[in-house]
Amino acid sequence: MSDPALNAAERSRPNNGLLKFSNGLIGAALIILIGYLLIYVAFAINLMQFPFDYDQGEGFELVDTIMFSQGEWPYQDTDVYPFYSSNYPPLFHVIAAPFVWLFGPAYWYGRLLGFLGTLVTASAIGYAVYREGGHKGIAALSGLAFLASNTVFHIGPLFRQHMTMVMFETLAVVVLARATDTADPRRRRLLLIAGLALILCAGYTKQLAYATAAAALIFLFIRSPRTGILCGIGFAAIFGAIFVFLNWATDGQWWLQTISANVNEFYPDQTIGLYRLWFSLHGFLIVPAVLWALYELYFGRLSIYTLWFIAAVANAALSGKWGAGDSYFATSIAALCLLSGIFAARTLKRAWNFPQNFYSRLLVNPFRRLSPIIYGAGLIIIPLLYIGYAAATLKMPTQGALFEPLAAALHLTPNADNGFYDSAGRIAGGYADIGHFTTAQDIENGWRIVERVRQAEGDVLSEEAAFNLLAGKPVITNPTQLLNLWLNNQWDSSELVQMIENQEFGLIVLRAQFYPTDVLIAIGNHYQQTDTIPMNGFSYLLLEPK
Amino acid sequence: MYTRPVYEKLRMSQITRWITIFFSQNYTFSKRLLGIFLILGGAAGFAGILMIDVLDVGREGGIGPSQRLALGGCVALILLGLSLLPLGKAPA
Repeated sequence: MSDPALNAAERSRPNNGLLKFSNGLIGAALIILIGYLLIYVAFAINLMQFPFDYDQGEGFELVDTIMFSQGEWPYQDTDVYPFYSSNYPPLFHVIAAPFVWLFGPAYWYGRLLGFLGTLVTASAIGYAVYREGGHKGIAALSGLAFLASNTVFHIGPLFRQHMTMVMFETLAVVVLARATDTADPRRRRLLLIAGLALILCAGYTKQLAYATAAAALIFLFIRSPRTGILCGIGFAAIFGAIFVFLNWATDGQWWLQTISANVNEFYPDQTIGLYRLWFSLHGFLIVPAVLWALYELYFGRLSIYTLWFIAAVANAALSGKWGAGDSYFATSIAALCLLSGIFAARTLKRAWNFPQNFYSRLLVNPFRRLSPIIYGAGLIIIPLLYIGYAAATLKMPTQGALFEPLAAALHLTPNADNGFYDSAGRIAGGYADIGHFTTAQDIENGWRIVERVRQAEGDVLSEEAAFNLLAGKPVITNPTQLLNLWLNNQWDSSELVQMIENQEFGLIVLRAQFYPTDVLIAIGNHYQQTDTIPMNGFSYLLLEPK
Repeated sequence: MYTRPVYEKLRMSQITRWITIFFSQNYTFSKRLLGIFLILGGAAGFAGILMIDVLDVGREGGIGPSQRLALGGCVALILLGLSLLPLGKAPA
C-alpha cells in the first residue's frame, strides 16, 4: 500500500524537465544582464576618458571638491564675485578631495567613485537577497537588475553625488534589517550604530536621503518603540549638531544654499510622466516587489526593506521639482530590486508561509490544493520576469564594430544622441538626456572651446566649469544655483549684471541657458553670438562683447 | 463599586502599566495597533490638508491637484489601517 504522505510529496515535486527549463531561463536572464553590465562598464570607461562636463553641473561638483581639498567651504555668498556656491552637502566632495591632491582637477575620479558606488549597491542588494532568500541565481539577478536600470546606467558613472547617497542608503538598510532580531545586545548596538551612521553619511551626501532615515526610524519604532525613540533622539542630536556646526562655520550660507534655495517650483505633469516611465521600465520587478510588500503587511512582519521601498516611491514624487528628474527614483529602484529578489527567491525555493488569519482563510486556503501548479508556473514566470525586465530596459550604442551588428540584429534605430538607443525613449520631462557614449570629435570640440576661453581677455563666464578649469581661469558662478536662489528671491543679481553690462567678461559660454532671466537679458543686450561648437550632442554658444 | 478616587487611581496605574509595557525592551507593534496608527495618521493628515485652506485664508483656487492627491493618499492610509484591524495581535 502506498504512503499517502509520500504520494503528496511526489505530486508536489516538479519534474526534472521543468526544473532544467527554469534553470535554463535563469541562465539566459543572467547572460543578458551580464551583457548589460559590460555595456555599463564600457560606458563608464568612455566617460572617465572624457575631460569635460558630460552631464550639466558635473563641473561644479568638481569645483566643490577642489575647494574642499584647499580647506575652503563651497557654501559662499553668491551676491559678490565670483558669485559661486554649492547646493549639495559635503560628504561626496570630501571623499573625492584626496584625488585632487594626487591628480589635480579632473573628472575621472569623481566618475569612478560614482561608478564604484553603484557596484557596491548592486553587491549589497545581491547579498541581502541571498541572505533573505537563499537563492544564488536570483541574488545575482537582483544586483544586476539594479545596474541594468536605465536611470542607474546613465547616472551611475557621473561626477555626481546621487548614486553615492543611494549606496549609503542601501548599506544602511541592509545593516539595520537584522539589527532588531539580534539577541546579543553588543552586536545589536553595533548594528544600530553602524546603520544609523550610514544613514547619516547618506544625508550628508545628498538631502534626499531623509526618506530613508524616516523609513529606518519608523521600522525601529514598529519593532521596538523604545529602540526607535532612543535611536531617533541620538540620530537627531548628531545630525543636528553637524548641521548647526556647518551653518555656523559658513556664516549661515549652509542653510541658505542647501535648504532655502532648494525649495523649487513643482511641476505635477513631470512627476506623473516620470512615474509612468518608471513603471514602464521597471514594471516587471515592481509587481513582485509590491506583492512581497503586501505579503509582509498581511501575513509576515514588515521589514525595513518594505518600509524603505514605500518611502522611496513616495519620495520620488519630488522628481517634479525644477532641477529634479529621474535620478529621484534611484533609491526606489534599489529597493524594488531587493524586494522583487526576495519574492523570486521565495517562489523558486517554495518557501512561502501563510499563517492562518482572516485573509489567508479568505484568499489563500481555497487555492492551497493548487500549490504544485502555482509553484510550477512560478518556476517559469520568475525567470521570464527578469528577461522581460531586460527587454524593457534595453539601451546600447548602435554604432561601432561591436554594437552595430548587434543593433542591426535587434532592429534598433538610434533615438538619442551619438547613435544611442534608449528604451526610455526621452518621452518624459525630467528624464536626463544622457547615456550616449562620447566620441573623439566631442573631445576635439571641447578642446576648441577651451582654447577660445584661454585666448579671451580677462574672466570668462561659462555655464560649465570644465572650460575655465582647463584654461586655468577662475570659475565664475554656478548658474543653476543662482537660478535656484533667484527664483526664491534670495539672490541680488545687480553686481553680476553690472559686470555683464560693463562687458567685463572676454567671452561667455552658454549651453542650456540656466542663468536667471535678468542675467540672460543683460547677456543678450551686451554680447553677441560669434560661434557655435557642438559637443556631446549639445550646442555650445560662444558670445563676445558687442 | 469603586469610589471616584480609587477608580482614578486604578485607571492611572493601568495607563502607567501600559506605558511601561509599550516602552519595554521586548514590546513590538501588533498589526491592529499599526492599523490604528495608520487610521489616526490618515485622519490627521486629511484634516490637516483641509485646514490649509481654512488657516491660509489668502490662498486662492480652493483645493488644488496636489492637495487632492494628498487627500487621496490619506484616505488610502485609513483604508489600509482598517484592513489591518482583523489581524489582531500578530506582530507587525
